[in-house]
Amino acid sequence: MKTMSTLDFERISTGQALPSLTKHVTVDQIRQYAEASGDRNPIHLDETFARSAGLPGVIAHGMLTMAFANQMLTDWLGDRSLLKRLQGRFAGMVVPGDAVTCSGSVASKDDETRRVMINLVVTNQRGERVLNKGVAEAEFPPQRSNTHAA
Amino acid sequence: MTDPRWVGRSYETAPYQVTQQSIRDYMTAVGDLREDGELIAPPTYAMVYGFDAYWQLWTDQEVALDVAHLVHGEQRFTFQRPVRPGDQIRTTGRLIAISNRGDMELVTFELSARDAEDRPVSDGTALFIIRKP
Repeated sequence: MKTMSTLDFERISTGQALPSLTKHVTVDQIRQYAEASGDRNPIHLDETFARSAGLPGVIAHGMLTMAFANQMLTDWLGDRSLLKRLQGRFAGMVVPGDAVTCSGSVASKDDETRRVMINLVVTNQRGERVLNKGVAEAEFPPQRSNTHAA
Repeated sequence: MTDPRWVGRSYETAPYQVTQQSIRDYMTAVGDLREDGELIAPPTYAMVYGFDAYWQLWTDQEVALDVAHLVHGEQRFTFQRPVRPGDQIRTTGRLIAISNRGDMELVTFELSARDAEDRPVSDGTALFIIRKP
C-alpha cells in the first residue's frame, strides 16, 4: 500500500500538468467492478448479450473510467477529502484489453477560496478520447496561522 | 420511446451501511489502493452507496427504459463531505428529463445522498443514452 501526503496548495500553478495515470482494463477487472458496485448489467459481463445489444462485445462501466480519473486526482491531491466536484462525458467505449490514460491540468487556482479547478481527459491506446469535458474541483483547508513568518 | 409522463418520478434507497469491507472491495476493484491512514472512500464510491437508486430506475416496469440499449453518457458529482466506515447513507434519485437527439433518447437522473443526521453527503447527475435499435 502506498501512503500519501497532502499536496501543498502554495506549490500549485495554473497550467501545471498532473501526473498521468495509465490503467490496463481486463475482463476480470470489469467483473470485479460489477461485484463491488452492484452494477451487473449484462452488457458488462455477457459477451453474447453485449453483441445482441449491438456492441462489439462486453464494455467497461463508464464509472470505472471515472474511478480512474478520480484516482489520478486524489493521488495528486494526496487526500481524498479535498475533491469537491468531478464530472465528465463518456465519449467512447472501453473494452477489455484497452490501456486508458488519465491526464489533467490545472485550469485555475483561487487563493481566496483555496479552490483549484482541473481539466481532465481519458484517452485509450489509440489516442481516442473515452472521457472528455472532464472537470474537477478541489478545495484546500485554510492555511494554518502558525505558518506565518515571524 | 419512454413515456415523458414519468418525469418527476423518484426512488429512494434503504440506508446504505458503509463498511471497511465495502470500501476496500471498491478500492480493489478499481485498483485505487492507497491508504491515507484513516480509511476514506474514493469519492466515486458514491456509485456504490447510491447504486440501488439507479437499479430501481432501470428495473421500473412502468417506466420500462430499454436498458439493453442504455449506456452511461455523462456523470457529474459534487461531494459535500468524505465517506467513512460507519456512515449510513440514503440516496434519492429523481428522473428529471427525457428527450430525443437524433436516433438517441436521453434520460437525466438526479441524485442526492444524505447521512443518518440528514446532512448532505453528495449530489450527482447521470445522463443515460438509449440507442434506438
